Amino acid sequence: MTQHPSMKSESISRARYGCAVGAMQSAVAIPGTMPIADCGPGCADKQYASLAFYNGFQGSGYGGGASHPSINTTEKEVVFGGNDRLRELIQASTKVLKADLFVVTTGCISDIVGDDVASVVGEFQRRNVSVVYAETGGFMGNNFIGHEVVVKAVIDQYVGDFSGEKEQGLVNIWTELPYQNTFWRGDLAEIKRVLEGIGLKVNILFGHGSGGVEEWKTIPKAQFNIVIHTWLGLSVAEHLSEKYGQPFLHFPTIPIGSIATGNFLRDVGKYAKIDSKKVESFIESEERDYYKYMEEFSEFFSEYFFGVPSKFAVVTDSAYALAITKFAVNQLGLIPVKVILTENPPEEHRESIREQFRSIADGVSIEAEFIEDGFVIEEEIRNSDRKPAILFGTTWDRDIAKEVGAGVVEVSFPASYEVVLSRSYVGYRGALSLIEKIFTVTIGASA
Amino acid sequence: MARINLDTAAVESREQRLGTVVYWDGNALELSEKSGYSKKGKCGSGCNLCEMKGPFTQPSVCSEQMVECQAGNIREAVLIQHAPIGCSASQTFYNTIYRIGLASRGHKVENLRISSTNLTERDMVFGGAEKLRLTIEDVWNHYHPKAIFIGSSCATGIIGDDIDSVTEEYTEKLGIPVVPLHCEGFRSKHWSTGFDQTQHGILRQIVKKPTKKQEDLVNVINLWGSDVFGPLLANLDLRVNYVVDLATVDDLASMSEAAATVAFCNTLGTYLSEGLEQAFGVPQIRAPQPYGIAGTDAWLRDLARVTHREHLVEDFIAREHARIAPEVEKLKKKLGGKQGFIATGSAYAHGLIEVLRELGIRVNGSVVFHHDPIYDSGDPSQDTLAHLVDNYGNVDDFVVSIRQPFQFFTTLRKHNPDFILIRHNGLAPLAARLGVPAAPLGDEHLAIGYNGLINLGNLILEIIERRRFCEDLSKHVTHQYSDWWSAQTDPGILAKHPELIWEGIDI
Repeated sequence: MTQHPSMKSESISRARYGCAVGAMQSAVAIPGTMPIADCGPGCADKQYASLAFYNGFQGSGYGGGASHPSINTTEKEVVFGGNDRLRELIQASTKVLKADLFVVTTGCISDIVGDDVASVVGEFQRRNVSVVYAETGGFMGNNFIGHEVVVKAVIDQYVGDFSGEKEQGLVNIWTELPYQNTFWRGDLAEIKRVLEGIGLKVNILFGHGSGGVEEWKTIPKAQFNIVIHTWLGLSVAEHLSEKYGQPFLHFPTIPIGSIATGNFLRDVGKYAKIDSKKVESFIESEERDYYKYMEEFSEFFSEYFFGVPSKFAVVTDSAYALAITKFAVNQLGLIPVKVILTENPPEEHRESIREQFRSIADGVSIEAEFIEDGFVIEEEIRNSDRKPAILFGTTWDRDIAKEVGAGVVEVSFPASYEVVLSRSYVGYRGALSLIEKIFTVTIGASA
Repeated sequence: MARINLDTAAVESREQRLGTVVYWDGNALELSEKSGYSKKGKCGSGCNLCEMKGPFTQPSVCSEQMVECQAGNIREAVLIQHAPIGCSASQTFYNTIYRIGLASRGHKVENLRISSTNLTERDMVFGGAEKLRLTIEDVWNHYHPKAIFIGSSCATGIIGDDIDSVTEEYTEKLGIPVVPLHCEGFRSKHWSTGFDQTQHGILRQIVKKPTKKQEDLVNVINLWGSDVFGPLLANLDLRVNYVVDLATVDDLASMSEAAATVAFCNTLGTYLSEGLEQAFGVPQIRAPQPYGIAGTDAWLRDLARVTHREHLVEDFIAREHARIAPEVEKLKKKLGGKQGFIATGSAYAHGLIEVLRELGIRVNGSVVFHHDPIYDSGDPSQDTLAHLVDNYGNVDDFVVSIRQPFQFFTTLRKHNPDFILIRHNGLAPLAARLGVPAAPLGDEHLAIGYNGLINLGNLILEIIERRRFCEDLSKHVTHQYSDWWSAQTDPGILAKHPELIWEGIDI
């Protein structure tokens, strides 16, 4: 056997993401859509049980959990190939299930043995069955990477070409990774709410506020795309720019709190050429509510006898880490002592992400580190000169938080000690929930 | 029975050893006869147990997950998943149960220790053995574990990484057992092969030749359940050695010193019980499982026989019968006539149905996720299904189905029970959407022994109150099934007529 070209260990303990086939959850996140797992018997269960269950207990939705089709590959398909079995399963799925769209997601086995998934799915597409395929073998990367593959598959194979008129004021939103982000349902609802508040028509595309595949069919009509993430969705927006001639706006920071959300809405409004009076009027009414609560909260914040902590660390994906850090610094006046980014962003985006953390606020700069291995993350926190009192992280961080005396706010996968329904941590309303959570955790642990 | 073969690293799969099936329907008596274990029905042997197979399938669970939930839950050991990163996703599940188990048994609560070699595309081309070596060195340097388990994956199975050589190399180099566990998901149709593979690895490399015997020690093969066996066996002056989950490596090594081995469920314990008996002379209990009064009586008597506690057992049994009788009577008044349904692993379901019937609950239907026609001992005294049928009567609708909510959708609507008992994820959510409350039985020991009747009875009393939640929900959900499937009454129709899927299609 050839010597391995790299002699560096890439081992990961306590993983903080799924694999590419975990993006079957992105199909689940489109209302009415169902994945067909072209995988081994345990792959779909692993991805669902971790991303959608022991992560805020979000649930399986219409198309997920144990209810969607799965090949459950056996030795026979490994040896003789899985094309016939895939054909049979797709056909059976159309007979047994009701779905607006099926998305075949391939796993390691199918991709290694080289099944001709494209041609099997093609047979059904020619019969006008709503089915697409995405090559998402687990060895190709994580579920962030898989998400973009699934999204492009639906756009290219289902939404298709478009030559009609664009609709002024219609926008497509590409932001958090569904299910991976424990709070995505509430967050997407809040993002949609504030954008509608300034008069836009919003294709939110995933979650309960999405119109499902009918909404996806209107993607090409949108005036422009908005990417609200450090990097996820940029390649989709670039693809749409080529395919449909749509420009896009990129906001690396998901807005949390009145300052970030107000600025976000002003930038979007200006770009979409919305009357600034309308934008300002919405911001004003939102701020009126927001600051009533802030005023009352300020009593706790300034007068709580035993003080409330300031130093915080963030251990999560780069987008949520940036959003939380900016809010905690700029609106709460908390102090970041450690930022560890865990989702393995593509190399080409890393420097721009680092730059974002170098300019959090005037005089506030922090060097973000990209680490995926649980052991190394713990060592970083353990050996840090400045120990956090608040740790924005995951269930994996409970032990090290306890060791250094920090309270854990579980903000991303896996959040196995959070039950999450519609709670959001972004925008105006989400910021209030985040404040509630941070300080309930900190004073809850005090005695 | 067949020799347990400890010469090779890979265990023989459950279907090869026991003739396990994952898809069948009929009634419990028929299944018992066709299994040809203690009952020799019309056919006289197990040859007529034909497995069904259909064109439509929903997600199952794989052997590797069972390796994670056993080898990944051993204290002072580390499990390496030699796999692409996706196999690691389920660590979140096994971490939750590990932490809850540690707390329940009074151990320090901490995260489990599982590491992935994190194989990527170029490893699929060049092979992953070198990354396995690097990961072994990582976990050795990080944790200095007393044992390292290496679980394989579908990907490494196909590309043909030689895990056995690497584990031999490091067993020598590190001076601790480095144990290969061959658990490619595609290799067995039922996940319980993963239990067997873990136990096979432990028998080969962890269990030590006994230097002494501990005549009061009993190995209890279980998962992460609360300490129910300890107080129970104390009445016979016996101590428990809980294995495999939450045990230390030394606890596992000392299994050979025990006076006997028992299991909370034969599905989990069959291989290790037989292996300990064959390779180390530790006798297993030749009785059905300790569920219900009759089952617990017989189980205790055999345990007393094997451990020479006959002088203690009859008095204890009589006291326990008297102690629980008033409480059981009260529960029977409240629960009598209710209709229950069981959806769990195979042998566990047999035990639970016995407990429910002792409480006066009707059980006309059950879904089990697989069926083992025999257990590894080959001893008919362990035939749990026959014990159920002989002592508590037939179960009319007995479906073997490997989760498969589409079949459960049909079965459950037919029975419309007051509640279901469930173990393993995947089916309870559907039950709730159909208006039926389910008890998930995360603590597998809840129904064990005499207290099990009371524990389970009280749990059911709580659960049936949730009907209010479930019924309200059921009025507001949209099911995923087509009108055609919703109209079907036979959950096995597609296995019998697979051509139906092509009906009306011109190809």
